[in-house]
Amino acid sequence: MSKAKKKAKQKEEWTPELLVFCCNWCSYAGADLAGVSRFQYPPNMRIIRVMCSGRVDPTFVLKALKDGADGVLITGCHIGDCHYISGNEYTRDRFKKLHEIIIKQLGIDGKRVRLEWVSASEGKRFADLITEFTNQIKELGPLKVF
Amino acid sequence: MEGSVVVIGGGIAGIQTSLDLTELGFKVYLVERNPSIGGRMAQLDKTFPTNDCSLCILAPKMVEVFRNPNIELMTYHEVKKVEGKPGDFTVTVLKKPRYIDETKCKGCGDCAAKCPKIEVPNVFDMNLGKRKSIYIPFPQAVPPIYVIDPEICLKLTKGVCGVCEKVCQAEAIDYEQKPQEIKLTVGAIVAATGFDMPAEELTSRWGYQYENVVSALEYERILCASGPFDGRVLRPSDQEEPEKIAFIQCAGSRDLHENIPYCSSVCCMYTAKEAIITKEHSENSNCYVFRHDIRAYGKNFYEFTQRAQKDYGVQYFQTKVSTVVEDHETKDLMIHYEDLKTGKFNDFHANLVVLATPLVPSKGTEELAQVLGVEVDKYHFFKEKSFFNKCLSSKDGMFLCGFCQGPKDIPETVADASGVASQVANLLNSVKYTEIKEKVFEVPEMEVKITDEPRIGVLVCHCGINIGKYVDVSGVVEYVEKLPYVVHCEANLYSCSPDSQARIKEVIQEKNLNRFIVASCTPRTHEALFQETCQEAGLNKYLFEMVNIRDQCSWVHMGDNEGATAKAKDLIRMAVAKARLLKPLTEASLDITPTALIIGGGVTGMTAALNIANQGFKAYKVEKEDKLGGNLNNLNVLYPIQEDAAILLNVIQDKVKKHKNIEIFLKSQIKDVKGFIGNYNVSIAMNKKSQGLKIGTIIVATGAQELKPNGDFQYNKKNKNIITQLELEQKLKEKDKSWLDNIKRVTTILCVDARQKEGITYCSNVCCGVSIKNVSILKELRPDLEIVVLYRDIQMAKKEFEEYYRERRKDAIFLRYDLDQIPTISKKGGKSEKYDIKVFDTNLQDEIEFETDLIILSTPMIPADNLDELAKMLKVPLDKNGFFLEAHVKLRPLDFATDGIFLAGCAQWPKNIQDSISQANGAAGRASRFLSAKTIKTSGLIAEVNPERCIGCGKCESVCPYNAIEIKEASMEFEDVSLVLKKSFINSALCKGCGTCAATCPNGAISVKHYDFDQIFAMIETYLLD
Repeated sequence: MSKAKKKAKQKEEWTPELLVFCCNWCSYAGADLAGVSRFQYPPNMRIIRVMCSGRVDPTFVLKALKDGADGVLITGCHIGDCHYISGNEYTRDRFKKLHEIIIKQLGIDGKRVRLEWVSASEGKRFADLITEFTNQIKELGPLKVF
Repeated sequence: MEGSVVVIGGGIAGIQTSLDLTELGFKVYLVERNPSIGGRMAQLDKTFPTNDCSLCILAPKMVEVFRNPNIELMTYHEVKKVEGKPGDFTVTVLKKPRYIDETKCKGCGDCAAKCPKIEVPNVFDMNLGKRKSIYIPFPQAVPPIYVIDPEICLKLTKGVCGVCEKVCQAEAIDYEQKPQEIKLTVGAIVAATGFDMPAEELTSRWGYQYENVVSALEYERILCASGPFDGRVLRPSDQEEPEKIAFIQCAGSRDLHENIPYCSSVCCMYTAKEAIITKEHSENSNCYVFRHDIRAYGKNFYEFTQRAQKDYGVQYFQTKVSTVVEDHETKDLMIHYEDLKTGKFNDFHANLVVLATPLVPSKGTEELAQVLGVEVDKYHFFKEKSFFNKCLSSKDGMFLCGFCQGPKDIPETVADASGVASQVANLLNSVKYTEIKEKVFEVPEMEVKITDEPRIGVLVCHCGINIGKYVDVSGVVEYVEKLPYVVHCEANLYSCSPDSQARIKEVIQEKNLNRFIVASCTPRTHEALFQETCQEAGLNKYLFEMVNIRDQCSWVHMGDNEGATAKAKDLIRMAVAKARLLKPLTEASLDITPTALIIGGGVTGMTAALNIANQGFKAYKVEKEDKLGGNLNNLNVLYPIQEDAAILLNVIQDKVKKHKNIEIFLKSQIKDVKGFIGNYNVSIAMNKKSQGLKIGTIIVATGAQELKPNGDFQYNKKNKNIITQLELEQKLKEKDKSWLDNIKRVTTILCVDARQKEGITYCSNVCCGVSIKNVSILKELRPDLEIVVLYRDIQMAKKEFEEYYRERRKDAIFLRYDLDQIPTISKKGGKSEKYDIKVFDTNLQDEIEFETDLIILSTPMIPADNLDELAKMLKVPLDKNGFFLEAHVKLRPLDFATDGIFLAGCAQWPKNIQDSISQANGAAGRASRFLSAKTIKTSGLIAEVNPERCIGCGKCESVCPYNAIEIKEASMEFEDVSLVLKKSFINSALCKGCGTCAATCPNGAISVKHYDFDQIFAMIETYLLD
């Protein structure tokens, strides 16, 4: 995080900065449904849309943490629902390894990086998930590792 | 002849038919009487047996229909009159007034939010939810256009109110709209009008009149996360979580008193699904299924019902339910039933009851039949022309698709849809592509080099007040204007309106922009529109980026304008950072060899070949035996039409042999397959010779075979009178029936080695039907013959079969046995073939022992031999039972994940001839889409390999679900030397751009265009660091 920004942040009340990866077919659609249904959640996260959760390279997550994200959430179709047949299964397997590295090698609390499945009809779940994740990160406080 | 088609009904049947028709070169008018397409499938929570989210898989298809330039979507329209003949029909369609100008409505919902009229039950939620008098049926409705209910609207009924007109900033409200008649001239008509579930028509003994007794479709809405209770399992009377939920099967189906003699075919499966989802949603609930037979005959179906019991603790009772009565105080229900395993009458106390009520043709089917001039059958479904082609109506040029012809599940409907499309193509072959329009862009695409300085334009949408009320749009514009490389930024009221498209084009050209961003709603519905606008202005469509500041800002942070505005700024800044790095992408065009290879010469393969050949394409047929016909050669009489199998075989075989476009290779096998869609090189081995063929697409129709139960049930060489059902079939085919002379009693045993706990766990669908057919044939030959049938459940789903079974039940004694106590056979002493059978009859709860002279074993169908080799050559997967595995069990039953290869018939799963023929026509349709188009366009959004970084490890190849990656040797130049190294190559024709390879690559050598590392890193960086 840039020094100027950090300074500015220290002055005001701290709010977490969260990054969420959504797959185009299920979880992004779930986020859309949260919108259409007007389910409210905290505004501390930004979504990056990818076609499949299988696209989320571990370096995306590491880069976000390095640049100052307080939490990263990867979302995709439920297992079995993947638009690309099995992309999310690879996400799941890859995430397991990544999560271990984050906890064991980087010493970051595992709750800060999560993988969740959200379907296109789970607008409520998407909103609840973001609320819960935001609260969790708020409890953990700002990430200070790098 | 007209090159266009009217499709009536916008459910999954109509949607799939329309999409396939356009790909075969026809214009489609999709007429739907409701305000949105989606049909019943849109109402489902999940789909069996994978528990896929129904809307997740359907919505992309709905949007595809909406965006397709060759589908004219006519929702809220009804067909009123049809004249003419095949090839030239005039169809009069009534456009019902929405009281909304469709060209102006943006679907924002401001009107409904302000509409004061008391809410009425929402039909989409099966009347469990509420809606206003101005409404959209469900949030994902297509088209996303509102409609006013004239029955309750205060303005239309009493002339007061008019609030919606005042709040609609798009000025879309039009109270003066009148019904309008439209005349269409088309070549063919497809009816795909689906089903209804009118639980209210049941007799009162089922208890539907009580609040806490719901139909399965109502329960589907209760379970749905976007349903009336947000997916919480609550009972309607008090919105409390029920503890004991009872599912009653056959609540009216297979019931002459309810006037529904047929089996609705899907209830056993959706009940298992609903019970499983219930357990997932509500841990404390307990589910009880009051079943009749379990009819779970599709792929992985029976196992699914077993999993519901084993893994989810759903309890199944084999019962006959007599009444459901309410306790007036608690609103709980008492189910009075007979336990068929004990013969006792019991009462069961439940908090909620879900009825699997009969599925009947949708309301208005008979009126439509009159308009079309087609016949309906005795069950009021549309009547098919012949049993073996259920997609033809009684009138030429009019086709039937899906549930309107008879009960069927979604994959069967989708197969039907592709089959209908191909048969329309057969009829209208000479006018393919006469009414299809290809979008032509008049402004030539401007060249944008990577070195050119980015000139970004941004449009920020107010969306009426939907964004503007919560996001400070002018503040956002001011902020965005100052971002690097942003040359122009402006706000507008509705970005999606036609005048905005004109404005986008104008700005791109005036300001010489080479990137464009729209910050408005969701790219899932609107990206294609803006991309097209950019293309019209000469900008490559991949230089467009979209930001969703409505669904992700204004609508979800309504109480926090500051937060919503800050978020909108960040999201746009992230898009600008990405847009800077966007590259123009090309969509390559690949030629398709106009030939098809059909592997397998049975009824499925022959039907597919004929269909393709009739469309003017060359079809090569490869059959390993020395004659065509496959299993049909072994059959005697076909049920339920009781016609000699040879008649069907000869008719179809004759056509195939005489067709000039079909070349047949007998005693031949596939030796090698190289290439990909449109460009396969196939080598065929026959009699020591081999021949190479250039092939465009491949259909796998390798069939299945009967299992020989070696050793089980005393099936061995010593016991001459213990034979399989197929062996009986062959005996019955023989002219000489003297083998029957000394036989007094025949016993048929069903589910031999099928539906087991281990080994073959599935139901193979056709054995019950074949057995019952042979019972009646034996009885006709020898009326004095005694016949006993030992069964577990009788699988006679579909409209014809229940009655077929009922009529023949008198021909035999039916004894029910359980898997835990299978019948035993012992041979009697002496020379003659006589056996003793012991069986524990679960209905009588008693052991029965009797003598029999002939035992027929009904064994399941198993895959053909040596499919492994073929699967490897084609690079397509087999499922755990050894059948071929389709791309998606629900919506792509005939495709493989690999484009260009299709499957049909028993190669996919055991099925009867009717379904095999439907799939054959379907697979032919899927395949001929590519042949008709002559070329295919690849997407720009695909993966690319940086050979410098690729280490040839092959991980990408192993994870690609589409076989789009191949590790090949490539010569790499290093200063002085040149080395041959293994490198990854991506086939742009097969890549779908998911990016799994990119994330798997250990060396960062693969990137996905439009979502590459630099672009995503830039977004992350600007969000967190700027």
